[in-house]
Amino acid sequence: MAAIRNITEGRHFLTRALVFAAIGVLPYGALYAWSERLVWRHAQTNKFFLVKSAPPTQYDYVILGASHAAALGYQDMTPRLEALTQKKIVNLALVGGGVRVSRLIFEYFLTRHRTEGVVYVIDSFAFYARTWNEDRLQDTRLFLRAPFDLSLARELLSDPSTRSVGVDVLTGFSKINNKDRFASDVSPEESTRFNRSYRPVQQIDDQRLTYLYAQPIDQAVFARYMAEFEDFLRDVQSRGIRVLVVKPPIPERIVRWIPGEQEFDGRLKELLARLDIPLHDFTHAGNDEKLFYDTDHLNKDGVVNFFQAALAPLLAQ
Amino acid sequence: MLFNSFSFLGFLAVLVIAFYASPHRSRWMLLLAASFLNYALFRVEYVLLLLAVTLVGYIGALAIGRVDEARSTTRRRRLMFSVVLVLGLLFVNKYADFTIDSVNAILGRTALPRLDLAVAAGLSFYAFSCVSYLVNVFRGRLEAVGHFGKFALYIAFFPKLLAGPIERARPFLSQLESPLRFDAPRVTGGLQLVLWGLFKKVVIADRLAPLVDAAYRSPAFASPADLLLATYFFAFQLYCDFSGYSDIAIGTSRMLGVDLLENFRRPYLSTSVREFWSERWHISLSAWFRDYLYIPLGGSRVSVWRAHLNVLIVFLVSGLWHGANWTFVVWGGLNGLYQVGGGALSRLRGGMGRRPHKARPGRLVGILVTFHLVLVTWVFFRASSLGDAITVISRVGAAGGSLPRLLVARLYDPAVQLVVALICILLIVEAFDDLQSMWARLDARPIYVRWAAYYALLAMLLVLGNWNLTQFVYMQF
Repeated sequence: MAAIRNITEGRHFLTRALVFAAIGVLPYGALYAWSERLVWRHAQTNKFFLVKSAPPTQYDYVILGASHAAALGYQDMTPRLEALTQKKIVNLALVGGGVRVSRLIFEYFLTRHRTEGVVYVIDSFAFYARTWNEDRLQDTRLFLRAPFDLSLARELLSDPSTRSVGVDVLTGFSKINNKDRFASDVSPEESTRFNRSYRPVQQIDDQRLTYLYAQPIDQAVFARYMAEFEDFLRDVQSRGIRVLVVKPPIPERIVRWIPGEQEFDGRLKELLARLDIPLHDFTHAGNDEKLFYDTDHLNKDGVVNFFQAALAPLLAQ
Repeated sequence: MLFNSFSFLGFLAVLVIAFYASPHRSRWMLLLAASFLNYALFRVEYVLLLLAVTLVGYIGALAIGRVDEARSTTRRRRLMFSVVLVLGLLFVNKYADFTIDSVNAILGRTALPRLDLAVAAGLSFYAFSCVSYLVNVFRGRLEAVGHFGKFALYIAFFPKLLAGPIERARPFLSQLESPLRFDAPRVTGGLQLVLWGLFKKVVIADRLAPLVDAAYRSPAFASPADLLLATYFFAFQLYCDFSGYSDIAIGTSRMLGVDLLENFRRPYLSTSVREFWSERWHISLSAWFRDYLYIPLGGSRVSVWRAHLNVLIVFLVSGLWHGANWTFVVWGGLNGLYQVGGGALSRLRGGMGRRPHKARPGRLVGILVTFHLVLVTWVFFRASSLGDAITVISRVGAAGGSLPRLLVARLYDPAVQLVVALICILLIVEAFDDLQSMWARLDARPIYVRWAAYYALLAMLLVLGNWNLTQFVYMQF
């Protein structure tokens, strides 16, 4: 008798809990809609937002890569490059984004747009650690200003390593919970530091290099991301899209300290040779120290100089 | 799993369903497995320490229980041996490096190498639970538990394992024995506490934490207004963090058929430091120190001076219990001095025929004075070193009269406005709760009012909560 009462009461409670949850969908939906509205109101630089908010477009070039490539799209740099080259260009580089991240954003881009070419700006550190690949994709902050899109959620849910973030994108939890919901998403690098010149400080340089290049380099991890890069480039080529691979300018004092860079270049050249893609190495071009806003990222003058002297002529071809 | 993680909430939902679906006789096994799993997820090595304490408590109590004569020396020796073993484990894990550092500092050289042991989460809490059990068996208030699994569950029960409440064995074990059928009001009550605890932790405490950390990271470089504001904020951060943990622990446990001790009773509404410690703040720890240290030292049934000394000893030990740092010793000492001073003052008032004020203005003054006395002690509790604590106090003191103006200026910061608003909400709720339980008030309302309140709390958790898995402050103790 007690057991029956136990079950009956349990069922009754469960039913009420389900009704509570079902009604709760309404306020949750309202919060979700409000957060989504804030995304559309305040997003400016989020790359997923750029893809979603632009009408379907045929581009000439998509720029991919990590932070060195992202700096090429700060402020009005992309319109300037477009003016110099007379090409339609979109910069989809993501800070801290390795090949996996670049692949995700590019595949998302292709769900709405088309492009003739891809410019992949190489950051060697992004080939050495999970931090810039799987871990970066699991960072929900990457999608805080990504408008709701089932195709993006599906893409993330299809990969076991990004499933949790896929759930987050689908439910909008991080968007609802975003404490900077009323702020613009322009980074301090872009809004202020980009206009400055950096005065080198040994300690900061050391910190930055230690942060990016954990020693010793894990060769297995490096080989894996190189293989993924090759696979990605093959995939891009198979779609009939032209690929340009570029190494951006880096200050000489940093170039000297980057560990294993020669070996990296060698492996990269081998890979690109297999795919018949030339490497455009601008590491030592226009790398005067006053052209950087921090240890190794081009500032506004540096980017303009880089565009005029190197990238624009290359893209205009 | 941290209480403020989604994995824990999922784990809890599954556990509650499994608990009520399983027969009464096997529920303890389910809870024991869940408790060990939960602890192992923090660090597997911790489980060894937990097992060691459990074994010492179990075997020690059986050994004590075998000696019939209450005043036998053998019985006392067995108690002492077991207690020294348990506290020895606690000492080595938590205080060895502190002692080594102090010895090295006195000698002026590295005479002893540090052990660099990671302090096991919750050890102070379950070691104290074990000691209370051993002492109660020794005192004849409790029979030694023969069932190892149930005793292990008493020590390891996951809701209370990491930061209390420091539960006594008798009520806990007796609740394990009584068959429990599914009880909707019990589960609802548990959920209410979990919800409120989460609100205090992730919405208030974790929003205050960055503001406090920013000022206390380098007190010499923070402005006096920021330091003062951070100290006020820390009072509420610590309270919301720890009482939030306790609420979740008590709520979780209630859903699983065990009522744990109340640990907090709106402490910042205390009208004296004595009331703060004996009736409202970390009640289970205060009761532990009262029963197992203060009373054995003679309590108040000794000369006035000796009673004062006993109070001071209890608070100094309580300070050390919180952490191996001189800041905690000073924190404990200050609280001890408040108690002694408060006792002397109340005797003086009694001698003059004045009764403690019950009128509202007097009560409000009492609350404000007590809060600010406690606030001074929190500076030592929060600061990384004695030097930092003194810097905070001296810089705030030196700013003096300009502080109100500077504080008002800080209120223009939206982040500060938000946390001040949240603290006001908390204080209003607590003030009403002090008159009549807010849950009793809510339960008496129609369902749409109750559910609206739950949705509002959930919405605040969603919109304002910090879900970055910040640890609970008291887990480090």
